[in-house]
Amino acid sequence: MKRIALTLIIALLALPAIAMAKADLVVVTDAPPKSMNPHAFSSDANLSYMSNFFDGLLQRPAPDGKLSPALAESWERLDGVTWKFNLRKGVKFHNGNAFTAADVKFTFERMKDPQYSKLLNIANSIASIETPDDFTVIFKNVKPVPWFAETMHQNFIVDMESSKGRDDGDYNTKPVGTGAYKFVEWVKGSYVRMAANPDYWEGASKYKSVDIRPITEEATRFAALAGKQADIVNGVPISLIERIEKMPHVELISRPARRAIYMDISNMKGTPFEDIRVRKAIAHAINEDEIIEKVMRGQATATAQVPDVPTVGYLPGLKRLPYDPAMSKKLLAEAGYPNGFDITVAGPNDRYVNDEKICEAVAKYLAKVGLKVTLDVKPKSIFFDEMSDFKHQFYLIGWFDGSFDFGRSAEKLLHTVDKDKGMGAYNGTKYSNPEIDKMIIESSSIIDRAEREKALQAINKKSVEDVAWIPLHYQQDIFAVVKGKNVKFTPRSDRWIVAKEIK
Amino acid sequence: MATYLIKRLLQGIVVLMAVSLVCFIMFRYTGDPVLMLAGKYATQQEREMVRVSYGLDRPMYIQYVSFIGGVLKGNFGKSYISSVDALDMILERMPATLELAFTAICISFILGVGLGVVVSVWPTGLVARAIMAGSIFGISIPTFLIGILLVMVFSVYLEVLPSFGRGETVQIGFWRTGLLTADGWKHIVLPAFTLSGYQLAVLLRLTRAGMREVLSEEYIKTAWAKGLSPFKVILKHALRNVLIPVVTIAGLSFGELVAFSIVTETIFQWPGMGNLLLTSIFETDQPVIVTYIMLAAVIILTINILVDLTYAFLNPKIRYE
Repeated sequence: MKRIALTLIIALLALPAIAMAKADLVVVTDAPPKSMNPHAFSSDANLSYMSNFFDGLLQRPAPDGKLSPALAESWERLDGVTWKFNLRKGVKFHNGNAFTAADVKFTFERMKDPQYSKLLNIANSIASIETPDDFTVIFKNVKPVPWFAETMHQNFIVDMESSKGRDDGDYNTKPVGTGAYKFVEWVKGSYVRMAANPDYWEGASKYKSVDIRPITEEATRFAALAGKQADIVNGVPISLIERIEKMPHVELISRPARRAIYMDISNMKGTPFEDIRVRKAIAHAINEDEIIEKVMRGQATATAQVPDVPTVGYLPGLKRLPYDPAMSKKLLAEAGYPNGFDITVAGPNDRYVNDEKICEAVAKYLAKVGLKVTLDVKPKSIFFDEMSDFKHQFYLIGWFDGSFDFGRSAEKLLHTVDKDKGMGAYNGTKYSNPEIDKMIIESSSIIDRAEREKALQAINKKSVEDVAWIPLHYQQDIFAVVKGKNVKFTPRSDRWIVAKEIK
Repeated sequence: MATYLIKRLLQGIVVLMAVSLVCFIMFRYTGDPVLMLAGKYATQQEREMVRVSYGLDRPMYIQYVSFIGGVLKGNFGKSYISSVDALDMILERMPATLELAFTAICISFILGVGLGVVVSVWPTGLVARAIMAGSIFGISIPTFLIGILLVMVFSVYLEVLPSFGRGETVQIGFWRTGLLTADGWKHIVLPAFTLSGYQLAVLLRLTRAGMREVLSEEYIKTAWAKGLSPFKVILKHALRNVLIPVVTIAGLSFGELVAFSIVTETIFQWPGMGNLLLTSIFETDQPVIVTYIMLAAVIILTINILVDLTYAFLNPKIRYE
């Protein structure tokens, strides 16, 4: 009996030594991975994890996110619908298989199947894929898709030989790619562990083992930072920012996020919003400076337009309509609403930073100029459902486009809703302007990049002048680095944690 | 006895059917999973493709019938999000939750009964008063506040205990345990105390009430008069008689701790079932939600039946006919 007890005690003491050693680098982030299938979700939260295990044909390195070669060494748009990619030679997947054009073809064909992929939008735009040799791929689009190459940093290439006939459960939990890190372990709800790929085509990364730990709760992320249990924190909670600034061991990095928050507004016939004077009056009524100061605690950048600076189509110098309640009242009176009208301010309450409070502020400003306001904020799962059923004429929403091209945004957000053409899928107010529709269609077949940029800027300008939306601000992305380990971290505009970029 | 058991089991099946039906009715109001699944770049047609591929274009009652059909074959459906079997997903998280609940129930039982004895033996002392006041806090302060306060004190100010996660774990077969490493024990302290708070206070008050009643019984007076040591009188003669209801309550609350540790798991990023449920609700992952709720119902039902049966063993006067 005694001997058994002794053995047990010794075994217990020895166990901690058996357990795995701590990672070289611990990154805490705010969103857990949903799947290890690189095509399962188009959200940046999921792509962020995938970017370590996989490579796209192209990549966007930090900090400016310029489209650069990755698995493809060069690329060109041959004509309106044809794209040619020249692939890198000598790249190997983590399982030892060689990377060739067949893998690329297989990947994009698999991306068309809704069972495996939610990147249907880009996959369905492909009419055919030709592979004249092992290291050349030629894509033909169904119709001109000018931003096709711009999304190639998000479409991760999988291995054809091992993926075919692989069990779905296995495919969705154990990624095999060409990326800078090999997958080690995913303990759901705890962490994703990865090890540097010594044979990576860019050379091995600095940190040999990296843990990415998702923590969804703000207060817990704060505690992880305060207790020095992380080297990098992605998604520092704004509500606790003043306290974090005071921590001597923390370096804060703050940069304007890609996502613009805006009020989407209808111009539907038979509603007060039909009149541009009403839309202008609403824009004049909103005091954005106060929203940034009071609601966002200074952690936001005011904007007059929806695309962000690096996006093709951003127009420098666009001005927002100034805060002017007197002007607002005057415009309302001119439009025939001296006593206001009933308006509902809708929005999600768990999607964007302080989304509910911004809606409350907007409601308050509109009440001040005499509108009868109803506030209608609810969880995103219900709000987005209602939005896609066109239940709201005025709501808060956020947007940025992973392709860095305003063309796709304009098709989704501005173009008249047209199910058959696949236009206006995110245009929940049913805003419609035939002139803008025409500009959008015309812009998509322009091949010359500079000319296209001009066309997109014109659409952007027109949408602001017509008050198709009321842009409020870009969110701020706040990262924290714990000092002492000398970690050099450059945040990316898409907030991905790409471990090979951490030095 | 056997007829009673069969009756209870049949009742249980009816309850489970009702629970799953309520879930499906609720899903009509929790938002459309297709929007989230299809992503923001999808066109309307692509959304429809996704809807059809998940069978969500069928009427609700057909979806329900096919779900029940699957359950009868032991197949609870696949998570919309990760395309992994929903039951497997939950079972994978179960060890974490069971370990947390087990540790919490041990803490609340040992401390609750121990302190309960202390306050009933010296009911007027300063210590007893402090403990009783503390137990009111335990009952009335919400769990998330206890958790955050503990984190503030022990992780942020004192920096002695980690604030989140399970720490280093060891995989033994299908069971991933954190109880075999020093790091794992360090990680479980704060969440276990947070989770035990309410039960601790309840058990303490229950023990105290029982002890005070028993201590004034004639047979205890006899025991004192016989000159037995205080240790024997209090623990052997008094406490043993008090423990039956205390054990019952502890057993019942274990089920609750397992099924409803959601808040604690969220605060401490504990990778258990509760955390999974919350994430699934945010993501409208209906198969996981309904499987979880049915599993929670099974756990509660089983524990209830077991407790009823133990009564019959503990007290032969009780008969189930």
